[in-house]
Amino acid sequence: MRRLILCAAWVFALGLPAPVDGQQGGIREQLLARGAPPEFALQVAEVVAAADAEGLPTRALATKALEGWAKRGRVPPERVLFVLESISANLRAGRAATTEAGLDPPPGVVVAAAAEALGRGMTPADVHAVIGAADTPEAASMGLTVASSLAAQGLERAAAVRAVRHTYEEGGGPTAVLELPSAVAGLLARGVPMSDVARQILEGEGLPLPAARGLGLGKGRPGNVPPGRGPPIEPPGQGKPKNPGDKGKPPGS
Amino acid sequence: MSGERGFTGEMHRYLDGEPISLDGDVRSEAEHIVNGVRDYAVSLQVPGPEVDAAVMAVVRERRASGRRRAFWRWFVEPQAVRLRPALAAALVAAVVGLTLVVARDDAGQPPEVAGTELVEPRTVLVRFEFRAPHAEQVAVAGSFSEWDESGIPLTLNPATGLWTVTLPLTPGAHQYLFVIDGNQWVPDPAAHAQVDDGFGQVNSVIVVGPRGVVRS
Repeated sequence: MRRLILCAAWVFALGLPAPVDGQQGGIREQLLARGAPPEFALQVAEVVAAADAEGLPTRALATKALEGWAKRGRVPPERVLFVLESISANLRAGRAATTEAGLDPPPGVVVAAAAEALGRGMTPADVHAVIGAADTPEAASMGLTVASSLAAQGLERAAAVRAVRHTYEEGGGPTAVLELPSAVAGLLARGVPMSDVARQILEGEGLPLPAARGLGLGKGRPGNVPPGRGPPIEPPGQGKPKNPGDKGKPPGS
Repeated sequence: MSGERGFTGEMHRYLDGEPISLDGDVRSEAEHIVNGVRDYAVSLQVPGPEVDAAVMAVVRERRASGRRRAFWRWFVEPQAVRLRPALAAALVAAVVGLTLVVARDDAGQPPEVAGTELVEPRTVLVRFEFRAPHAEQVAVAGSFSEWDESGIPLTLNPATGLWTVTLPLTPGAHQYLFVIDGNQWVPDPAAHAQVDDGFGQVNSVIVVGPRGVVRS
């Protein structure tokens, strides 16, 4: 019995070394488990390992490889590998932009978000501007993600960056920034022209909930309401009128 | 009973139940004693089972108390422990290994930053909808499910033709697509944005805020 315990303890202790990043070491196995050819899985693993050796975050690479394999019906493996190389290049550029913005050593979450933003057409100057307004790496990461999402929603790149910067400068945190895309979607659904959306966002008009408007943006949930338990978010135009007396009034009266 | 208390040897044997005949006063005295003993025995009440139970309960409690005391004595007094050095080394290695595992898991978490509201990952329930009354099955696959091609199935409301599913997602941006009948990848028209997936198609993007999502 003692020998058994001894062996088990040694095996447990010696069997600990594992992938550094958690996901990149397992990407080959994940792809094989999903039926990918061994050669393709190996090539992906090599790209991921090379990025890891450079000190780059690898989660985006692994996720894109899994996505490419899932879409294999219309995406050839060589295309997946090409895209992975592009992402690696973006990650290098993201790391450079993050370092230039003053985060040295650059946190992985910020590098990944910067790489994604650059891949969607943001410039190193945009990355610098967002990172400069954020007071933590996590805020910088969220800011970059939201800025590139706002640009993808149709806002001008500069306006998207300005909206994020403005939110942070007015005291909002990452949670306030995360509400900006919903605010834009709400304004667009209400028929607000894209040219006016950025202005209204900066004025806090488009934010979906009163607690998120203006300077109080992102200061926490009113009454400590847990996520998903707060007041329902009604699509614009479907909520109850604030003043029942206005119900019958024509628009603009 | 003995002769010292006035019993004769014959009376003693008579009281012990031996078949002995006694004479006169001795006999009447012996009968008197026998009757007295019988009356006393009749007056005694035989204890019922509840008395046994009560007594045993007390006994058990005293025994348990004794065990506790013994354990405490063992616990506080110095004991001699014999341990093989190899076994001790293995246990130390196991403890160190466990500590490293925990430390590594912690290292993978987002950095804890004072003053931010996303220190702890939370989830927000997000409802996905897709109108496809003629589809046989609809699923959603995305970065939140590591693009598992089988996807997360949606449920059809036959009356409306609307497929829906509600998923707990972490705040942040998520890319996804709907998978129709297992082979058609379709973007969500109500998503916040559609972005190039790098493969010549688009992915839908939704940015989940702490209070939920408003779609177009």
